[in-house]
Amino acid sequence: MFRRWLAVVILAGLAWGGLVAIFALGWTPRLGLDLQGGTSVILEGPEGTDERVIETAVEVMRRRIEDFGSVQEPEISITGGTSILVQLPGVTDQERALNAVGRTGLLSFRPVLSVSPYLEPVEQGEGSVFPDGVDPETGLTIADDINADRSFLPEYDDLGNIVAVYEVGPADIAAHRQGICNHGLDCSRLPTVPSLLTGAEVASALALFGQYADSAWTVQLNMTGEGAGRFAAVTGLLAQYPMGTPNRRLAIVLDGAVVSAPEISAGVGPDGISGGTAVITLGASEDQQEEAEDLTTVLRYGSLPVAFERSAVQKVSATLGEDSLRAGLIAGVGALVLVVFFLMFYYRSLGLVTLLGLTVFGSLLIVIFGVLGAWQGLTLTLSGVAGVIVSIGITTDSYIVLFERTKEEIRNGRTVVDANREAYRRAFRTILTADFVSFVGAVLLWALAIGPVKGFAQALGIATVLDVIVFIVFTRNASAIMARSRLGDGGFFSIRGTTGQQLPQGASR
Amino acid sequence: MSAIGRLYRAETSIDFVGQARRWFIVSGVAIALCLLSLGIRNLNLSLDFTGGTSISMPNPAGAGIGEIRSALGSMGAAARVQLVDDGASIRIQTEAVDLDTERSMVVSLVEVAGTTIEVTDVESVGPTFGRQIAGRAVQALLVFLGVVVVFISIRFEWKMAIGAIAALLHDLILTAGAYSLLGFEVTPATVVAVLTILGYSLYDTVVVYDKIKENVESDRDRRTYTDLVNRSMNQVLMRSINTSLTSLLPVGSLLFIGSLLLGAGTLRDFALALFVGIAAGTYSSIFVAAPLLALWKERETEWSRRRYRSERKAGGSRPAGHRLSSRGQQTARRRK
Repeated sequence: MFRRWLAVVILAGLAWGGLVAIFALGWTPRLGLDLQGGTSVILEGPEGTDERVIETAVEVMRRRIEDFGSVQEPEISITGGTSILVQLPGVTDQERALNAVGRTGLLSFRPVLSVSPYLEPVEQGEGSVFPDGVDPETGLTIADDINADRSFLPEYDDLGNIVAVYEVGPADIAAHRQGICNHGLDCSRLPTVPSLLTGAEVASALALFGQYADSAWTVQLNMTGEGAGRFAAVTGLLAQYPMGTPNRRLAIVLDGAVVSAPEISAGVGPDGISGGTAVITLGASEDQQEEAEDLTTVLRYGSLPVAFERSAVQKVSATLGEDSLRAGLIAGVGALVLVVFFLMFYYRSLGLVTLLGLTVFGSLLIVIFGVLGAWQGLTLTLSGVAGVIVSIGITTDSYIVLFERTKEEIRNGRTVVDANREAYRRAFRTILTADFVSFVGAVLLWALAIGPVKGFAQALGIATVLDVIVFIVFTRNASAIMARSRLGDGGFFSIRGTTGQQLPQGASR
Repeated sequence: MSAIGRLYRAETSIDFVGQARRWFIVSGVAIALCLLSLGIRNLNLSLDFTGGTSISMPNPAGAGIGEIRSALGSMGAAARVQLVDDGASIRIQTEAVDLDTERSMVVSLVEVAGTTIEVTDVESVGPTFGRQIAGRAVQALLVFLGVVVVFISIRFEWKMAIGAIAALLHDLILTAGAYSLLGFEVTPATVVAVLTILGYSLYDTVVVYDKIKENVESDRDRRTYTDLVNRSMNQVLMRSINTSLTSLLPVGSLLFIGSLLLGAGTLRDFALALFVGIAAGTYSSIFVAAPLLALWKERETEWSRRRYRSERKAGGSRPAGHRLSSRGQQTARRRK
């Protein structure tokens, strides 16, 4: 008996204490965009795109959004197949953010340049900006790297503020003043000049181990026929500079940021690397394996690996979000009240168990959503709320199965305590089977479906597991305690009372 | 003793299987109606499936449809303009447009309606996306059905699995038919709801089958299968009714609150399908899945032998509800 009380008290304490803790910690469930307002976009890649490519695209998009600055807690995730869900909470003017995310960028090869000391800055001092008409990201007069006629470079202070702007050209190559792009250094600030080559001229790229250099990761780069000539010309130009100077490096620039800047090796002459195949040698460590693979992906797919299509955009104003949340909450609470009222009326004292059990179930559900929201970034969407409300029906059914069973056993002549024990044993099997079916359904939906269905499946799956736990720990023990108490065998309101019997008697029918 | 009182004390003895033909006719007619409606009227698919852009915003300036149309100019040529809530808000639906067009539509609408961009809701869906959601849902459904068949076959038996699937299809067709007949809009929320119905319907059927299995295993009196099914059905009847009620209460609350506070929206779409589906699910687990199973099992040698004996014991007079004689039964007679 003590153990039963203990189990009930512990679970109830966990639920209600957890609820208080969640609110104290500010871990209230994270709300989806449809409940708090914001913009969500689904970008669709071409059918059959490799999973890895989509992952690369997500990385590129994440960086772009972060660069964008004004977006708080953006969420970019793969929602199955080739679609990417971008969620920008609270963004009311979504145009710029949307454009930044979905635009297909450009991969280019640019000779590394260091700003020469004798170069006159076009602008100087804090708050310097590029001249009019220059893309602030690339420093080029037009977006196209190759055809840009003028090129500007910023100089940054330690905080990343531009303190001067220089105009540069391919001829301005001089002794370097800034750090060379090495692993660990901020490559994105490495000054480069307009490129002569773009990612379009890369035919293929391959990460290989030990093929070209003993026990080292290498990336083999194959250019197209046309690209091979240009590549030779560029590398030949760079090979004129002495080893060890930054000028001998060729930067691989993705979306205005330097990804890698390998040096042209000592053996290359003024004719450059001919034949259209080049090898970039990295190191042997595990990090470098990853680096080689990333570099390969970048070289293969350019900036955004594939062209994405905007397949769905939803902009929810904060008002609609609040209204939906309120409606969902009212419907949920209303549902609970109605269900408890009905069960109290029908099952009398056992209805009390339901009342307590449902509040434990509801509190635990909020706690789980809060904790998962804080740790895993799980958000509760409107369809998730619908899933939770549906799960109220499922968990209520567990009580009904148990109670009907109890009544049946009492009618068959068992004592209330025995009937309760036997009913639990039998009902548990039924509930486990039925919950298992629901759970499998939820998992399959979650794995296979996209869009709102996913949020629903998540909520349903969590609720189904929780139902089984509450049933084993709470309902079982609470109903057993009640069976032994005065509410078990007694008057109209008792458990026996629900069977219509007054006194223990023999088997009916 | 009143019928409700008997129900409450689980003392009903309804011959579910014996009346099978009647239930099957009811279901058959309903299914035929639904299929007919689906064939003729099709489903009213929402923007999410057909693709397009929908813009809604409050309308404090009280702009009329004419004003809105002229504000949209050529952009709104093919647009459907609606005044919602007695002109308190505007809703525009058009085919999918690019970002720039959408932008300028919103800007001109905001001006004429005297409101701001912040309170505007925009939804834009490419034509392929909705089809994808539906396609994925169908895919999930097929995999789910496969898993369920395997699971029920292992946990119970394969004939029960087929019975459960039959009941499921019954519910799905009725739900889809209801949408088609009533002309309700089918949204992704509806798809979610239909998938839920799937879960409910199976859950219900599994509970019924579990009871049948238990009764078959604990049977000492060599009762006929029909008898056992009827017994089981009467025993779980109250559970089925109560569960449906307690499931319909939240759904009803969702339906009511959703319509009251939000008008047509995700919550209402969702609740509507659930309401029809759960009702159909409860019906089908009692009146379709179980009788179907009983009639089918009666054809097995063991069960037809039991029936033969029970009929002989009853003095040759056939118990009520044995209208469908089975081949297995005849075989058993010949063997005698």
